[in-house]
Amino acid sequence: MKTEGITEVDLLAEEKVFSVSEFLDFINKILLPKEAVVQGEIGEKIDKREKYSTFNLIDKKDRSVLKCFVWNDRIDTLGIELEGGLEVKVFGNPRIFKSPYGSEFEFEVKAIWLLGEGVLKQAFETLKKKLQKEGLFDERFKKPIPRFCQKIGLITSRYGKGAKPDFEKHLGNFGFKVFFFDARVEGIFAISELVFAIRYFNENMPDLDVLVLIRGGGDWESLQAFNSEELARAIFASKIPVICGVGHESDLTIADLVADRRASTPTDAAKILTKNWERAQEEIKKIEKNLNFCFKTHSKNAKKELALLEENLTRKVSDEILNKIEELKNFFRKINFSYQRFIEKFRTLENNFKMNFQKINAILERRKIELKKLRFILEKNLSFWKERVKEKIFEEERKLLLSSPRFRLKQGYTITLNKEGRVIKNAGDLKVSEEIITKFFKGQTISKVKKIEK
Amino acid sequence: MGSKDFNFAEAYKEIEEINEWFTKEDIDLDEALKKYERAMELIQKCKKRLEEAENKFEEIKKKYSK
Repeated sequence: MKTEGITEVDLLAEEKVFSVSEFLDFINKILLPKEAVVQGEIGEKIDKREKYSTFNLIDKKDRSVLKCFVWNDRIDTLGIELEGGLEVKVFGNPRIFKSPYGSEFEFEVKAIWLLGEGVLKQAFETLKKKLQKEGLFDERFKKPIPRFCQKIGLITSRYGKGAKPDFEKHLGNFGFKVFFFDARVEGIFAISELVFAIRYFNENMPDLDVLVLIRGGGDWESLQAFNSEELARAIFASKIPVICGVGHESDLTIADLVADRRASTPTDAAKILTKNWERAQEEIKKIEKNLNFCFKTHSKNAKKELALLEENLTRKVSDEILNKIEELKNFFRKINFSYQRFIEKFRTLENNFKMNFQKINAILERRKIELKKLRFILEKNLSFWKERVKEKIFEEERKLLLSSPRFRLKQGYTITLNKEGRVIKNAGDLKVSEEIITKFFKGQTISKVKKIEK
Repeated sequence: MGSKDFNFAEAYKEIEEINEWFTKEDIDLDEALKKYERAMELIQKCKKRLEEAENKFEEIKKKYSK
């Protein structure tokens, strides 16, 4: 590539005369693709403008200088301010900066990589505070890891010494589907690749249960990708829950803090995913036993209860029947008693009646005899009584004849009556010249009263 | 229900719920029988899933490009 480029330049140089500007552009065309990572110490003089900064990168051995240009947003993510003496790695490309004041060769920095544990720790703390303040580590934002994960997006490097094999080795055989995305986990390109992998899975395989972001152990500097703001934000933005297992147990990175679940190591990440399956495998046997036991116990209990109920019921029913029988017996006893009493009464009545009947009969008999006797006496005295009655009648007849008014009139007596026919017995009842009727045995006279002598 | 549609997590949860249900004091025997049969069916399926499962690994060929 390098030799080809030079050949190209030679050929073109022979054929074409450039203007200055054209030539600078031509050189930049060659320079810009020559991206590189350069390590050095930052010089004391740092020129910070509104949007960009320039500084010198100095070779520690021979003090040679590379002028660097950087947009300020690249510095802001570092967590610390650039200062002289800071050891860094920079990623970027060389270029000629065109200027009427003298075009200069410089290195356009696209990423700065801090070196030296002290500085890195400082940067780490700053970023940690910043993200904490924003709430990126808050529990309320942590997505739960499904209890039984099946589809896993694995993000790590295929070349890592331990992470991937450790993870796969400790992942129990529970039918996991592991989709592996090879990404660098160290160095200047690690952040971009890790971020890309997270986004790739979210965009293309959103049904994954979990993303596993792992890296083996290393020194503080080698873990820097996991302490970057960019990766932290990508993890936070992931809709698929993320388990992060970086380095050794003691290594706590920003990625660990922002992840939905922190695994202390790649092995631990595998165990987290396997644990519930293993437990389920054990538990399911216990549950099966327990259910069999419970069900049998309940069935037995139910049977016992049923038997008890049946016994109870039978007893109750038979008790009830016995009671009823007893009641019936009593009832019959009562009826029988009443009947007996009735019969006895009836018999007494019957006897009484019989006795009375005989008495009446006797009386009747006696009366008959008496009547016969009387009749005999009557018949015997009949003629005697006939004579007596005749005499008596005759005598009475005579008496009657003697007391009759006609008989008296015949003897010469008269009867005086007033006009109304009333018999006058007292002369005082009459008035002078009143007409009176005088009845005789034969005929009557009507006369007037002349004088009354009382 | 084919084994592909089988959701282990849901089945396991149901098994646990049934197991929990059986710890209650007052249990209706009819329901117990139903739940017991259901649990046994799910347990067999879960066991099958646990026994037959093989991990599968697949690499995403997509690469990050600057």
